[in-house]
Amino acid sequence: MAKATNEIQYETDDPNRIQDVGWTLKEVWRRTRGFIVTSVNLIIFFILWEIITTYGNINSLFLPKASAMFQELWVGMTTRAPEGAVFSGSILDHFLHSFKNLMTGLAIACAIGIPGGLLMGGNKYVESILSPYVWALASLPRIALVPLFILFLGFTTTMQVTIIVLSAVFPIIINAWAGVKTTEKSLLAAAKVFGANRVQLYYKVVLPYTLPFIISGIQQGIGRGLIGVVIAELFGGSNGLGYLIQRSADTFNTAMTFAVLLLLIVMSLSLINFTRWLEAKVAPWRNVNHL
Amino acid sequence: MPIIEDKIIVADNLSISYDLHRERKKLIALQNISLEIKKGEFVVLVGPSGCGKTSFINAVSGLIPKSEGSVKVRGVEVTAPGPDRAMVFQDYALLPWRTVESNIRLPYELQNLGLSEEEKAVRVKKSLELVDLVGFEKSFPYELSGGMKQRVGIARALATNPDILLADEPFAAIDAMTREAMQAEMERIVMETGQTCVFITHSIDEAILLGDRVVVISYRPGKIKEIVDVDFPRPRMNNSEVKTSKKYAELRDHIWNLVKDEAMQTTRGE
Repeated sequence: MAKATNEIQYETDDPNRIQDVGWTLKEVWRRTRGFIVTSVNLIIFFILWEIITTYGNINSLFLPKASAMFQELWVGMTTRAPEGAVFSGSILDHFLHSFKNLMTGLAIACAIGIPGGLLMGGNKYVESILSPYVWALASLPRIALVPLFILFLGFTTTMQVTIIVLSAVFPIIINAWAGVKTTEKSLLAAAKVFGANRVQLYYKVVLPYTLPFIISGIQQGIGRGLIGVVIAELFGGSNGLGYLIQRSADTFNTAMTFAVLLLLIVMSLSLINFTRWLEAKVAPWRNVNHL
Repeated sequence: MPIIEDKIIVADNLSISYDLHRERKKLIALQNISLEIKKGEFVVLVGPSGCGKTSFINAVSGLIPKSEGSVKVRGVEVTAPGPDRAMVFQDYALLPWRTVESNIRLPYELQNLGLSEEEKAVRVKKSLELVDLVGFEKSFPYELSGGMKQRVGIARALATNPDILLADEPFAAIDAMTREAMQAEMERIVMETGQTCVFITHSIDEAILLGDRVVVISYRPGKIKEIVDVDFPRPRMNNSEVKTSKKYAELRDHIWNLVKDEAMQTTRGE
């Protein structure tokens, strides 16, 4: 239950119990070492990459120089295609297209998944009716649905967003559902004893308890949604980062391919870290140890 | 001890059973419990794990339905929880996303007691003072030690100024030293507020030190084995004469003998 390490000591009786230590060098290092170690690590990685591709006998068709990748990324992110261009070589244009699709898809997935999961957790009839479909679709590799949706919707943005929604919605549903189901029984009992009716039980206990579960669901949804973005664009479409990967590889512009991959990594990590921050912000009590 | 005759809780032939759906059987947790509790009385239930003590408290609170018999509070059959009965839980059952103050306020948010905002604030402050938590209003439960969490649990129970305080092994998860301090607090609070208290424990010492009467319950199905009167003067907690007296040792021995066989049964798993 109560771990000694979790106890925060307050200025209770003896004011000398908590003493001001000030900023020591050790403390500054303790706080910044994570950032410093990661930065140095990455810089060494890219320098080694550069050295190997410069002095090693490596075909730049397979592995471009790190500097070429960064240059491609910089140029691609700072230029836009002219008005009316049929094809854009600008990474920014494709990034904006993909990002907008991803956000639209995630918003729709949340709008369906959160109420859906809450309803499934809260009502056993809804649960027993919907759960076979949820499990069936959740276990089906979503990529298998792409040809079908191309048939239904053509090579359109609607098709791409649909794939993203289908990719992201299930982890959100399942997490919200699990959150409701695992709400601590003693919290529910306490609320009932102190006079909660059914509605209050939901919005005073079940919903706040489920909130961090929903955020984890969205976090997983982002990961799946990004897969959906790339798959949908690889299969069918003439814009987006997935399409740009395909196109640049087809035209032997490997530096561009690597630049887009790097951008995808940065985008994915930023979004996931944002949800982690959000989770820690709304539910500091959950004390989850993240990897 | 003032003798007040009106009986605030009356259980008459109360039985509680649970359906074991998988085995298509019914588990009788409590059988034919008849118990009258006077206003202002401190009644402690002791008995082995799984003997149905919690079921009794839950039936009085209105959390679970009765199978047979009746439980009346002030002559009215219990069908649902009410503001006249509050509960302290073994695992504290504090809402982790709420501060200490906000947790104590919960009962006011859930039911309309006809109190103004100022009255609520005064009552919350009084509850905090009663459990000695002033200065921790803005702390979250996860920042507190077990003993402090349970003080919040007690303050929340006292917030609505209930007539009846139900406590389900409130100090079971608290370390031995803090536990003694909490027992003293509990005695002081109940003496101050004059509440009727139904208290569950596994500790015979706790039972004798806190209870006006100790109800010994047998193991599966739970029946009243014996009701032991304890008439040490209060406050007992900081009175070393109580614990060292011959009468205390005799009472302890007597209750242990009542519980011993039952406790042995639970270790054998029946």
